[in-house]
Amino acid sequence: MMKSMIRSAMIRSGVIRPGVIRSATLACAAVCMALAGPALAQKKGGTLTVGLELDIPGFDPLKVGVYDTSANVAAALIFDNLATLGDDGKAKPKLAESWTHSDDYKTWTFKLRPNVKFQDGTPFNAQAVAWNYARQKDPKNNCRCAFYVANFLSVEAKDDLTVVYNLKDPAVDLPALLTRPDQNSSMQSPTAVQAKGDDYNRNPVGTGPFMVKSWTAGDRMVLERNPNYWNKDAIKLDRIVLRPLPDSQSRFASLQSGETDVVWADEFEADNIAKARKDASKQVLVYAGSGAAVNAINTKVPPLDDVRVRQALVMALDRPLMSQAITNGLARPASNPYGDGSWVKCKDDGALPFDAVKAAALIKDYGKPVKFKMLFTATPRGRANGQVLQQLWKKIGVDMEIEQVDQATIPPRAFQRKFDITPWRIVDFPDPDVQMFANFYSKSPLNLANYTNPELDKLLEHARVTADEAKRIDDYCAVSRLINHEATWFWTFQNTYYAIAKAKVKGIPKMFGGIIDVSHAWLQ
Amino acid sequence: MIRFVGRRLLHLLPVLLAVSLFTFLIASLLPGDLASTILGDQATPEKVAALRAQMGLDLPLWQRFLHWLWGVLHGDLGRSFRTGETVLSAVADRLPVSLELMVMAEGLGLLIGIPLAILCAVKQGSGVDRFLTGLAFGKLSLPPFMVAILLIYLFAVQLGWLPATGWVPFAEDPIGNLRSFVLPAVTLAFAEWPVLMRVLRSDMIATLQEDYIAMAKAKGLTPARILLVHALKPSSLTLVTVTGINIGRLIGGTLIVETIFALPGIGRLLVGAIYARDFIILQGVVLFVAAGFVIVNFIVDMLYAVLDPRIRHGRA
Repeated sequence: MMKSMIRSAMIRSGVIRPGVIRSATLACAAVCMALAGPALAQKKGGTLTVGLELDIPGFDPLKVGVYDTSANVAAALIFDNLATLGDDGKAKPKLAESWTHSDDYKTWTFKLRPNVKFQDGTPFNAQAVAWNYARQKDPKNNCRCAFYVANFLSVEAKDDLTVVYNLKDPAVDLPALLTRPDQNSSMQSPTAVQAKGDDYNRNPVGTGPFMVKSWTAGDRMVLERNPNYWNKDAIKLDRIVLRPLPDSQSRFASLQSGETDVVWADEFEADNIAKARKDASKQVLVYAGSGAAVNAINTKVPPLDDVRVRQALVMALDRPLMSQAITNGLARPASNPYGDGSWVKCKDDGALPFDAVKAAALIKDYGKPVKFKMLFTATPRGRANGQVLQQLWKKIGVDMEIEQVDQATIPPRAFQRKFDITPWRIVDFPDPDVQMFANFYSKSPLNLANYTNPELDKLLEHARVTADEAKRIDDYCAVSRLINHEATWFWTFQNTYYAIAKAKVKGIPKMFGGIIDVSHAWLQ
Repeated sequence: MIRFVGRRLLHLLPVLLAVSLFTFLIASLLPGDLASTILGDQATPEKVAALRAQMGLDLPLWQRFLHWLWGVLHGDLGRSFRTGETVLSAVADRLPVSLELMVMAEGLGLLIGIPLAILCAVKQGSGVDRFLTGLAFGKLSLPPFMVAILLIYLFAVQLGWLPATGWVPFAEDPIGNLRSFVLPAVTLAFAEWPVLMRVLRSDMIATLQEDYIAMAKAKGLTPARILLVHALKPSSLTLVTVTGINIGRLIGGTLIVETIFALPGIGRLLVGAIYARDFIILQGVVLFVAAGFVIVNFIVDMLYAVLDPRIRHGRA
C-alpha cells in the first residue's frame, strides 16, 4: 500500500517513468498481494474516455432492434442484468440474488435483489422484469429483438421479488444467457419508457452504475456515476465518456495523443496492436472468444452436394497463410465452432487436415468440373477474403467465383438458401446451445447448410437437456466431428477481441462477446 | 434586379423536386427496405410483407413519393425510425459542424489561393510561378485521407498541439472549438487552394493583357492598386463559380474528413442513414443538402451580377 503510494507520487512528480518500474511492479504484484491484500489501492474518481468504432443509434429495443458492440459497451454502464459472467465464464448474481430451475430446465425462478431503484426512482422489481419482456414479445411491436427471446413462452412476476421464466425448449444454463448487456436482458425503466415515448431511445434509464448526462449524436456520450447505485462502493470512476471514432488510424492516434484512455481495436489493426505491445505506457487487452467466423456450404446444390468436393474445399484451406495474408498473422485459425473462450474443449474435434494434394485428388475423383459462387461482403475485407480463398481453391482445380454483395443482403440470401457458400458467424454466447441448435439442427430455419442427419439432431437435442458439463462437452465434440467429417460447414478464424488502453487503466474484466465493460474500471 | 432574383428563385423549386424524386428512386433501388430492417434477418417473408402493408411500403413508388411530399409541404420531414430523432433535429445537430468546417476550409483555401494566384500571374513563367504550379499539382495528387493522417501524426501525436479527433461546441468552449477544426480545415484547404490558385491565375493572366490595364499602368497607378482594384474583380468570375461549387459540396459534408477526425457532420449522418436503410433521414438530409447547393449557386449568380454589370443588365 505504502509502496504503491510512494511509487505513484514519484511517477507524478516525474522522478521515474512508469516503464522503468514495470518489472518492479510485476515482481511486487505477487508478493504484495499475499502480504497486504490488493497491492494497488483502487483509486476513486476520475474520468475515463473510451474510443469506440460506431455511433450508437439508441437503446430502445423496439427502435434499434439489436445492440451492436458500441451499444453493448454503453448498456453495460447504464443498465444491469439479472446475472453477470465471472472470470470463469459462469453466471454470478447481479440483479437476481439466486435462482432455481425445474427438473426439465423449462422453468426458471429468480429471486431478485431487494431495494434496487432505476435511475429515475422507479423501483426495480419482478413486475419491471416481466414488463420488459412482454414489451419485446408483443407482436404488435414488431420488434426484431423478439427473435432472441422466442424461447421464452412467458416471463411472470410471482411476487415483487420473484420472477419466473417459462421456456418452450429447455435451457440448462439460462442465467448465463441473461448476462449479455444486450437489447433483451438489459433491464429498462418501465416508467421512463412509457413517459418518454419516441424520445426514450436516446434518453435511456436503467439501474446501472452510470447515467447519461449528455449525448451529442456522432460525437460523444457523457455518463456520470449514479449516486444511488445499489453497489456503489464497487464503482470508482466519476465520469465516463464514450466517443465514436470510426477511423481505426485516428482512433489509435487519439490514444497516443492522450484524448482517449481505452480504444476498441480489431485484428485488422495488427500494426497498431504490435506498436502498443512494445509501448510500456500502453496495454493490449485480448479476449479469445467462444465462437468463430464460419461458412455454410449449401449441400443441396451441385457440385457441393458431393461430400468429396466439400472435404476437398476444407482440406485446401491453409489457415495460417490466410491469417498472414489478411491480418498479418493475428487471426487465430479455428478447427471447430467453439473457440478458445468456450468451455467446450475437444480432444478430437475431427478437423480435416490441411492437405492440398489429397484435396486435388478428391476433386479429380469427383470427375466433373467444380465451379460455384461464394458470397462476400462488398467491403475491402470481403474482397481480400474472397481472393485468398479463390487462390487456395484454384490450386486444387476448383473455380470459385466471388460474389460481393451488400452486408444487408447476406442474411436474407442465407435465409432463403440463395447461395452456394455463404459467410456466417458463430457469435459469442455464454452457452453454445443457442447457436449450435439454430445452425445445425435439421428443422431449424437457420440450418443454412440444408443438411439433415438424425444423429446430429440427436446429439443437439441431448446436449440442451443435459446439465452435466462433461457430458455436454462430449456431445458438442461429437457434433464438431460429424460436421467436420461431412464438411457441411467450415470454420476459418476464432473470434478474438482487442482493446488498447493506457497502462494506468485497471479493472476491465474479460471482454466477453467483445464488450469492453468499463463500469468497474479505475485509474491507477 | 428584382426580376432577376425572382427568376432565379423560381428555378429553385423544380430543382428541389427533381432531387427529391431522384433520391426516392435511388433509395428504392437499394436492396432491403425499412420493413426488413425493422424485423431483422430472422423474420419470415410473410411477416415482412405484413409490416410492409401496414407501413404503406407496398404502395406504388409514386404514391409513396406524393405522401412524403405532402408531409414536407406541411413542414413534416418525418422521424427516423431507428433513433426516434426528427429529421429537423438530426440536421440541426449536424449542420453547424459541416457549415463551420466549410467556412474555415474554404476561407483558408481562398486565403492561400488568391495571393499565390496573383503572384503567379504577375510573375508568369518565372521560377516562382513554375515552383508554385508544380507544388499545386503535387498537392492535388495527395489524397485528403493521407494528408489527414500525416497532420494527425505530426500535430496531435508528435507535437501534441492539436486534438487528433473530436469536436467541442462553440458555445461551450470557443477556443477548443476552433482548435478542433484546425486540422480538418487544413486538410480540406490543402485540396482546395491549388484549384483556386490555378483558376484565378489563368483568368488573371488574360485580364492583365487587356488594354485597360496597360492604360492604368500608363496613368501611373501603383501595381498593387492595378492588381487588387482593377484586375482582381474582373478575373474572379471562374473563381467564384468554383468556390460556389466547393461550398455546395462541403455543405453535404465530407465523409472522409469527418470520419478520420470523428466530426459529427452531415456526411457521416448521411452515410449512416444509407447503411441503416433509414430512408426518412436519408431523404430529409438530401433535401437539405440540395437546397443548400441551390441557394449557394443562387448567391453565386448574384455575385456574377455584382462582378460583371453586363450580366446585371441582361446584355450578356
